[in-house]
Amino acid sequence: MSAQTIRDAVIIGGNRIPFARAHTAYATAGNQDMLTSTLNGLVARFGLQGEQIGTVAAGAVMKHSKNFNLTRESVLGTPLDPKTPAFDVQMACATGMEAIGSMANKIKLGQIDSAIAGGVDSISDAPIVVTDELRGILMEANRAKTVSQRLKALAKIRPGHLAPQAPGVNEPRTGMSMGEHMAITAHAWGITRAEQDELALASHKNLAAAYDRGFFDDLITPFKNVSRDTNMRADSTLEKLGKLSPAFGKDLGAEATMTAANSTALTDGASAVLLGSEEWADQHDLPKLANFIDYEEGAVDFVDGAEGLLMAPAYAAARMLKRNNLSFSDFEYIEIHEAFASTVLAQIKAWESEEFCKNKLGLDSALGTIDRSRLNVNGSSLAAGHPFAATGGRIVASLAKALHGKPGKLGFISVCAAGGQGITAIIEGR
Amino acid sequence: MPSLSSLYGCAALGAARSKLRPGSGPRTLPDRTVLAQHPGVSLEEAESYRRLFGGESFDGVHRAALPSVLVHIIGFPVQMALMSDDEFPLPLIGLVHVANEVEHLRPVRVGQPVQILVSAGNLRPHRRGTQVDITVTVLEQGADPKAAAAVGAGGSAETSVLWRSVSTYLSKGAQLGTEVSTEVSTASGAEETGSTAVTRSEDPKSFVPPVKTASWRLGSDAGRAYAAVSGDYNPIHVSQLAAKALGMPAAIVHGMYSAGRMLEGREPEGAGHRWSIRFEAPVTLPGTVAFAAEPQGPKTVRFTGWNPRKARRHFSAELQLP
Repeated sequence: MSAQTIRDAVIIGGNRIPFARAHTAYATAGNQDMLTSTLNGLVARFGLQGEQIGTVAAGAVMKHSKNFNLTRESVLGTPLDPKTPAFDVQMACATGMEAIGSMANKIKLGQIDSAIAGGVDSISDAPIVVTDELRGILMEANRAKTVSQRLKALAKIRPGHLAPQAPGVNEPRTGMSMGEHMAITAHAWGITRAEQDELALASHKNLAAAYDRGFFDDLITPFKNVSRDTNMRADSTLEKLGKLSPAFGKDLGAEATMTAANSTALTDGASAVLLGSEEWADQHDLPKLANFIDYEEGAVDFVDGAEGLLMAPAYAAARMLKRNNLSFSDFEYIEIHEAFASTVLAQIKAWESEEFCKNKLGLDSALGTIDRSRLNVNGSSLAAGHPFAATGGRIVASLAKALHGKPGKLGFISVCAAGGQGITAIIEGR
Repeated sequence: MPSLSSLYGCAALGAARSKLRPGSGPRTLPDRTVLAQHPGVSLEEAESYRRLFGGESFDGVHRAALPSVLVHIIGFPVQMALMSDDEFPLPLIGLVHVANEVEHLRPVRVGQPVQILVSAGNLRPHRRGTQVDITVTVLEQGADPKAAAAVGAGGSAETSVLWRSVSTYLSKGAQLGTEVSTEVSTASGAEETGSTAVTRSEDPKSFVPPVKTASWRLGSDAGRAYAAVSGDYNPIHVSQLAAKALGMPAAIVHGMYSAGRMLEGREPEGAGHRWSIRFEAPVTLPGTVAFAAEPQGPKTVRFTGWNPRKARRHFSAELQLP
């Protein structure tokens, strides 16, 4: 057996469709349509027609049971070589990051030379299912061997069983929505309404400016006559944001700070990132934007409130930075997924807190401060929207492009996820 | 085992009788216990309980012992048999479950036959009526119930005791005769604090909610769902009309539903723990309960349930881990 060596995993580029607010422009497009279109755009951009890719990994958080092979079916709908294997990934809002990180690892180990990783989510075409009671009765009828047994089973159906069930948006173990959870964490960290509104405004301004200077020209392919993220409000002002009533944490009364504007809207969309070894990129005459250096998963004990639901990246970051012997001051750009403005601010405050870093992260001192001028410089989820599994691909492709031409400069990524989980990652410009 | 549905029928009759005879208030407790043999909770019954609360499956390997509230459920018809006895001084309909204490001494496994011994005691006046404690002792099959009843905590017969609870009920408006009243209030001390360990001196009006850790959204069928699992079809829990007829604004969820839900995933799979709950404002259906689980050190967890809109406490409870 030959000894395995680690080689670089190169981020070649990305593609996404513009993100659209739920139940609007993409209301009739499902996950399969959006993912296939996104992959088609990536294939067209990098001339991958007929190419056999090492592996394609993608996923959706809200997935129909009929889409059991969502990614493979999308691959078959593209001009990629049909011998390209594909599989589905799911880690809530960190799905895209997990797909990208695990594909980068395969490339680093030499198991594959190229990969596509990403994600898609549709709120507009979310799976509606029957109640547990009705499903139980239908399955019993299905197992029946005689007509009378079948009728006996079906006779148990009551009107209440027939109500369709929308997918749960609440944490199963607490019954609380992500916004309710975040409202408690935000309150505990003393995050103000003004700070959150300022962060939301910056997200819209930064995203609009990036569009205006053509930053997204080679990152986005229009879809269904949409060419920009429909959630973006370039003309927003602090006055306008300040007028909104709280949407989450209403039982905090006057101390509620989270509004519809400083919380991410439900969105439809898809994204994909092309990764390869240095040799594969060179052989195909493709750009090499950045290297995928490392990533770390984290999870916290949130069920009885020991830690905030969306605080896992605070812990993952500490382990990842230590392993790579880095601090926040080493990073050119910081990308913290804006699930809520307060999510970003709570993580930053945690890293700046000596008490938190000593007691919770087991460090000798605070992890460090985040230079706000380096934070989410091309906008983030508050402006672009957040189709759950598609967010990782959006961030990685945009950050890799921002770091391109800055060899050795580092970018930091943090993405929180449902279930008290999260992922952080490091990429390096080239 | 006594049938609960026939007992509720008798209960309605009992309530009507006492209304027909105003002034003939309750006086003394019947000097008897009820003993029932229970064949054991079937796997199917245990699974329907866990489907209600969403806990882990009774797979026989990692989960084989019954949760405390499921043991309460099998003891409940025996409590009812005692309380619906003609000699029992308080009308069954209108009895309010105000508190419950449980010592879960040893595991009770799925399918394990047990004996259930029930007795009443501590009949005492309360500013809103009369309170009584019903003690349920769950014993190993074949153990001598007399010995178990006679020996208090720490006695040699304790090893045959699996589980013990004290349920405190309030009969609103029922007044004790003067003789009994004097005797009992001397014996039990301060009536306002009741007999339960969880009673805290906090004034419900000054209730400041803790930080919420969960939110329970209860549909209008939550009472019927617990009734289907527990067999407790008390009309106040399953019918809006009946609840209103009995003076409630709407149907209310069973108190022990809240107990079961707060303990799910938090009490040990086996035994050795004790817990207590005190019920305050009833949870009307449909409704949302804000819930907090607060560790008070490594072995104690405090639970609070309240109405998030009115900041009224539904219950306060404490779990003491082994």
